[in-house]
Amino acid sequence: MILTQQLTKHYGKVEALHELNLNIEKGKVFGFIGPNGAGKSTTMLILSTLLEPTSGRAYVAGYDVCKEPKAVRQALGYMPDFFGVYDNLKTTEYLEFYAAAYHIPPEKRRSLIADLLELVNLSNKADSYVDALSRGMKQRLGLARCLVHSPEVLILDEPASGLDPRARIEMREILKELRKMGKTILISSHILPELAELCDEIGVIEKGRLIACGAVDDVSVGTRGISVMEVKVLEKHDHALQLLEAFPYVRRLDDKASHFRFQFTGTESDKAALLQKLIDAGIPVVQFGESKENLEDVFLAITEGVGN
Amino acid sequence: MKDFFSNPLIVKEMRERFRSKRSFWILGTYLFVMGAILLGFLYITEMNTYMTPGENRDMFLMMAAIQYAMICFIAPALSAGAISGERERQTLHVLLTTHLSPGRIIISKLITSLAFIFLMVVATLPLYSFVFLYGGISPQQLSLFVLFLAMNIIFFGALGIFCSTWIKRTSVSTITAYGLAFFFVVGTGLLCLFIGMLLTELYPDKYLGDEVFNQLGLQWLASSNPVYVMLSILGESIGPAIEPDVTPWLFFSVVYLILTIVLIMWSTYLLHPVRKRYWGWKK
Repeated sequence: MILTQQLTKHYGKVEALHELNLNIEKGKVFGFIGPNGAGKSTTMLILSTLLEPTSGRAYVAGYDVCKEPKAVRQALGYMPDFFGVYDNLKTTEYLEFYAAAYHIPPEKRRSLIADLLELVNLSNKADSYVDALSRGMKQRLGLARCLVHSPEVLILDEPASGLDPRARIEMREILKELRKMGKTILISSHILPELAELCDEIGVIEKGRLIACGAVDDVSVGTRGISVMEVKVLEKHDHALQLLEAFPYVRRLDDKASHFRFQFTGTESDKAALLQKLIDAGIPVVQFGESKENLEDVFLAITEGVGN
Repeated sequence: MKDFFSNPLIVKEMRERFRSKRSFWILGTYLFVMGAILLGFLYITEMNTYMTPGENRDMFLMMAAIQYAMICFIAPALSAGAISGERERQTLHVLLTTHLSPGRIIISKLITSLAFIFLMVVATLPLYSFVFLYGGISPQQLSLFVLFLAMNIIFFGALGIFCSTWIKRTSVSTITAYGLAFFFVVGTGLLCLFIGMLLTELYPDKYLGDEVFNQLGLQWLASSNPVYVMLSILGESIGPAIEPDVTPWLFFSVVYLILTIVLIMWSTYLLHPVRKRYWGWKK
């Protein structure tokens, strides 16, 4: 559904994107991870027909973004990382404007807008002025705006940025709903743990290069053999800390008081050896395994040293 | 007409503009100031002389000058934020991903920016009843003057839209639009005078006095100056006496219409997120 081939973008002498190859299949949710300036937004702008690539090709729903921008815009809903709303417009009027801009017939607009507001839990704000909505509500309204022409593909640039925890959870639930509806979603986020639960695949981008791509679990173990481990002990906390620090494959050890988190660069046998060592030392281990949730660590592990 | 009322951008802009209290305050203040100037002028003039209805054109000239100054002042300001405002509000990218083409966006923005100025001009029409009472102008002159104002409104609006598309920040775009408007209103006149005087100084044998201003190039430059054209419509004169080959208002209208079309097309080109290259070659 989304395909890029050797996609490259230069801003003067700065290379924002270097030969990016992505293939996102229909109905998949793809998480795009990378620090600021890595090239995520550039990729999304090119896919949204708002920026011309220097070289390479990009396709959305089978349409070339450079040659068939109109068809791409019909197939795609784009939500930028920062977007404003119009003052003095009510929520329904705001959506009506975009519905008209996408040539939705007037007789269909009323029911469409009611459905969209229900999807994003804003039915009770239908008559409120847009600029009076909270940040989270505006973000949800922005999502409804993306869906006004029922696109197959959604490109969401940092949809959860600046939201409080409750608003983030609400946004995540809506995205899950959209996944159920079969939408293909390309999403980037700084709130990395959120993507783990939501995404089928993730891509890690750094300095314009895709340095890891695949299913969340595959990427976390990754080609570099790095995984993020979590160990919980009942007693002898300090002793366990010493042993872990001394173990050769343990890096970035984080003592979270109730448990330890660290990057592990060894093999499966090395993991077994570490567990054995802890047990031999008489430490009561109650949890020993890979951390499933924290993509932030995965991201830090993978991007460590890239570009230096 | 159906297209006009179903154009989503026009409907949205009209809703936004006419819902804000600011628009009503601007309109109210403008009418108050215009009325106060007019009545004040009447009061002061009547203190010294007796104004005969049907024979006094000063009032019309004053109204015309104020109206024109207002257009020069407001038209670029209202349109100079049309596109850059969308950019600053971070709504432009989203707008460009809809099915609204850059050309349609530019035209819609121009129409909605200028609609308010046209409303202001129409709202001042009752004040012109005073002018009709005292007379001094022919209906033909008034019609020409209204057409001249309309041409200026459209041109300054297009100029503002162009600056707004070209320059990212509204503040800089507004200043640039004012600068360019100043060039057209004042600069063209000064340039015409300067070149004429320079030619007289350089070639005193060839050009005697004001005859130099009858050169075709200088005639065209003078006819491009809105102040000169406005006064010629109203039967007044400014600067050296020129005997133009082409009627100034006709020349002015054609030139400014072409400039308006060029500015609109250029703005449309600039607004395209991915611009086609019509010349040169891509690396």
